[in-house]
Amino acid sequence: MKRKALSKKPGASHVEAVRERFPGVVKDVAWQTDDQVTVTVATDALPDVVEYLYFGRGGWLPVMIGNDERPIKGCYALYYVLSMEEEDKGWVVVRAEVDPDTLEFPSVTPRVPACVWSEREVRDMYGLRPVGLPDERRLVLPDDWPDNLYPLRKDSMDYRHRPQPVRDVENYTFLSDTGDRETTVVPMGPLHITSDEPGHFRLFVEGEEIVDADYRLFYIHRGMEKVAESRLNYDAVTFLADRICGICGCAHSVAYAEAVENAQGIEVPARAQAIRALVLEVERLHSHLLNLGLVCHYCGFDTGFQHFWRVREKAMDLAELLTGHRKTYGLNLIGGVRRDILAEQKMETIRLVHELRDETCSVVDALLETPNFEGRAKGVGRLDPKIARAFSPVGPCVRGSGFARDVRFDHPFDGYKMLQDSFKARSYDGCDVLSRTLVRIDEVFDSFDMVEYLLENAPSGPILTEDWTYDPHKFALGFTEAPRGEDVHWAMVGDNQKCYRWRAKAATYSNWPVLRYMFRGNTISDAALIVGSIDPCYSCTERVTIVDVNKKTEKVLTKDQLESYCRRRTHSPLKD
Amino acid sequence: MLKTLRNILKTGDATVKYPFAPLHTWPDMRGKPEHDAIACIACGACAVACPPNAIQMQTDLRAGTTMWSIDYGRCIFCGRCEEVCPLSAISLESEFELAVMRKDDLIETCTYQLQACSECGEYFAPRKEVDYAVRLLSSMPGNPEVEEAAQLASVCPTCKRRRDAVAAKAADDAHAKAKGGEA
Repeated sequence: MKRKALSKKPGASHVEAVRERFPGVVKDVAWQTDDQVTVTVATDALPDVVEYLYFGRGGWLPVMIGNDERPIKGCYALYYVLSMEEEDKGWVVVRAEVDPDTLEFPSVTPRVPACVWSEREVRDMYGLRPVGLPDERRLVLPDDWPDNLYPLRKDSMDYRHRPQPVRDVENYTFLSDTGDRETTVVPMGPLHITSDEPGHFRLFVEGEEIVDADYRLFYIHRGMEKVAESRLNYDAVTFLADRICGICGCAHSVAYAEAVENAQGIEVPARAQAIRALVLEVERLHSHLLNLGLVCHYCGFDTGFQHFWRVREKAMDLAELLTGHRKTYGLNLIGGVRRDILAEQKMETIRLVHELRDETCSVVDALLETPNFEGRAKGVGRLDPKIARAFSPVGPCVRGSGFARDVRFDHPFDGYKMLQDSFKARSYDGCDVLSRTLVRIDEVFDSFDMVEYLLENAPSGPILTEDWTYDPHKFALGFTEAPRGEDVHWAMVGDNQKCYRWRAKAATYSNWPVLRYMFRGNTISDAALIVGSIDPCYSCTERVTIVDVNKKTEKVLTKDQLESYCRRRTHSPLKD
Repeated sequence: MLKTLRNILKTGDATVKYPFAPLHTWPDMRGKPEHDAIACIACGACAVACPPNAIQMQTDLRAGTTMWSIDYGRCIFCGRCEEVCPLSAISLESEFELAVMRKDDLIETCTYQLQACSECGEYFAPRKEVDYAVRLLSSMPGNPEVEEAAQLASVCPTCKRRRDAVAAKAADDAHAKAKGGEA
């Protein structure tokens, strides 16, 4: 009888399937919410179970979370988060315990490539060893970080500690898969952090064609998770989460707030849910308009760029009207939102959305009518659906390759529950820069409609609840669809009013690993356009090293050179 | 091409005259937090709530003062201070032009006197906070317990506990005496 009631929950059939297929492997099943279940499995069976859920039952893997649970349970724990998106949608989290003496666990990456970054990160942060991980380079920690200092272990270090650099040369190897052709890898000089999100790219080229590419990021890892665990109270972390991103801050703070709310069983008032969804859509408006402007810029259509950014300014204005801040910051608290939308603000919003829609229409028409745009974006930066399936990219990046993945519709949350009948996830199957851009254009217009719908239909009532009891060590997922894709947060609060562990997975974290495959076969002049089409912070292309496979020469291009070549496609910076 | 040209013509001049003319802002925008030093009772609620620790309280027991300070360089303009202040002594105004030539100019401070305990002489709370408590208590006349609390407002918690203990002991002794007398 009890089992019958259980199997009604979304995602329960997956748990049954795992039990049937791998008898004796499941050690424990715990439900966090109606559609979130955590299944603890024997560590040896971890790769089998994750692979089965991922490829066998339509799962996608946004992130894996490591946690030092020695003070609570006497072991480390890994949480492989799977978003089940085919039959019986729901979240299944596969939990495995890692022995604190051996520190080893079998790597899942050889079976499910989407785990690669998370497993590298767990290796850096906790010193756990994924046995069989093909890529054992550091991901987050810099080269000069001491070897046996693992920042997120509970007994390792204070968040203010700055260890002495242990070496002053870079020892990071850039990988390339260029067949039997010999390549040269030369260490780069000191890093100039001149932009807010620097990354280091190496393109392995033959003449103009990119044979392979590798890159390195995390130069400005801010250690926010550590700060949240040690300095801030759990209810102030929403303000820190806002500042993960300069564009989609609200998406992060909603995701964090929901993680805690889901874990603690807090019922957020319906009006607050609608306001959250509304502000998330306003955020999507200004973010997508920004990216559409940048696409114009990369195609050499700078007039369009200026016009998109002019129109975008109105979306920022809208954000200021609704949240008091151009960047949609500071809206969320655990339990709801801090600002209601009053009658006059509603009228202003309707007026602004109306104007915005008209103006966006005319600039989008201008963009689509520009022949240069299609010529430049079509067939460029192909993301093969097979690669996409293996690496779980998110947002317009994956929706441009034919997969209509969107947590707003796969796992409706907040005000999006009201929108299920009138809207659906957008997708195109061109797999190229053009498709990703078209997805964004469609979503901008959807956002206008969603904002209007939510304004009209938001239920009245309170916007904040303070009615809950704090329960330590409970955990759950929170998720939102940010403009770039899904943000997934996992939070466990401790017994001291602070986060015991908070893991924030930003959208672009899932998109970087596929970039390498999108580069292959394109020309150098496409590189900036391709990077731009996944909509990361643009400055990531700040420095690029070109390694010519045949001539065995190497040259460092500046952002300006690369950008100008991308737009004009003459005067190759390589020929001088 | 034609559409682009039409857009250009329709838009005209998109830039505004700022900084030579005021910039349009919405009435409820969250700008500079303004501190009302007279209304403030130095209770420190804002310092506890402030996520980036822009607002801090520093107590100097030797001088008998407590210093409230805000660092606008650290402030994230979230407005939590405004929400938690019991006297609305801090509120976010629409001013947003906070650039200064020297970083120190971003810090504003305000020093308040502490109240010394009328029995032991130790400092135990900001004087204005004690006054505020007395004002609140005296707004509820007719209740002997409240009136007693108001009279003891300038006694520190330690001395209050000592008084309570002495009183309890006395009551206990009296009770035992009475009991002994009965027996």
